Amino acid sequence: MSEASERLTGSTWDVEHLLSDALRPIEPPERLSGRFEDTLSAVTQAAVEELSDWAEELSESELRALRDPRNWVRPVVAVGAGGAAAGALLVLELRRRGRQQAKGGLRSLAGRVKP
Amino acid sequence: MSGQENVEPASLDPQAKAELDRAFEDLYRAHLRDVYSYAYYRVGNQHDAEDLTEQTFLQAYRHFDRARRESDGRPLRPWLIRIAHNLASNFYRDRSRRPQTSLENADPIATRHGTEAIAEGREELRQVIANLEHLSDDRREALIMRFALGMDNREIARALGRSDGATKVLIHRAIKQLQEEMADE
Repeated sequence: MSEASERLTGSTWDVEHLLSDALRPIEPPERLSGRFEDTLSAVTQAAVEELSDWAEELSESELRALRDPRNWVRPVVAVGAGGAAAGALLVLELRRRGRQQAKGGLRSLAGRVKP
Repeated sequence: MSGQENVEPASLDPQAKAELDRAFEDLYRAHLRDVYSYAYYRVGNQHDAEDLTEQTFLQAYRHFDRARRESDGRPLRPWLIRIAHNLASNFYRDRSRRPQTSLENADPIATRHGTEAIAEGREELRQVIANLEHLSDDRREALIMRFALGMDNREIARALGRSDGATKVLIHRAIKQLQEEMADE
């Protein structure tokens, strides 16, 4: 090992040693734990209250909406439209069957007619 | 610093929340000194260090359940330090300022060393702390994590969001730069 690299190795150790001395862990002040516990409990309590308020507000608003006649129009229209569509499908199906029966009748009549 | 928004674990069922709170208390006791030390060396004064530490643990509490599930048993210290690191960066950005008190003036040396021990070597300690200020943020932070918190390369890599190799190089270069600056003086 050359003299220069020996000095380098030595100074590496020195700097790391100095850093270990200079950057030691620092003890937090005792009041910090108490302060954190107070803040945490205040914040969690606020979160719990907010959640429960939110749940209550939601059910109240839902009930109000159900009682309001203005909100009945949409369901009535939806039921009406659904009924009309079902009726239309039924009519179409009956017509289709009617046409099939008519075709079958003509065929059987043609079979019975002798040349 | 702000951040006192809803705390996620409040929505858990009482038994799960009690278990989570116990685990979090263990984490808090185990790493309070680490987070505070990091915060102190980062912001350079006790008042802001306390704020930063408190906000770090509040933030950690919000995401603790998920962090535990995703950690696969790995230590959570790098995660905590990473939270502190991000909060400190936001702190400076929001206030558009650097530490009000530099590391050099923070003088943890005087509070940690007895007066007899200070006499010899104090100047060298001051010099090395003064030179830390000349390092880039990532180099300085890596050295704080290594020497003040005793984190290994892997932990530092996780805290800084770098690879193990890149972290090793970062620390090596930081020490080399300090050596050169010390040698120049």
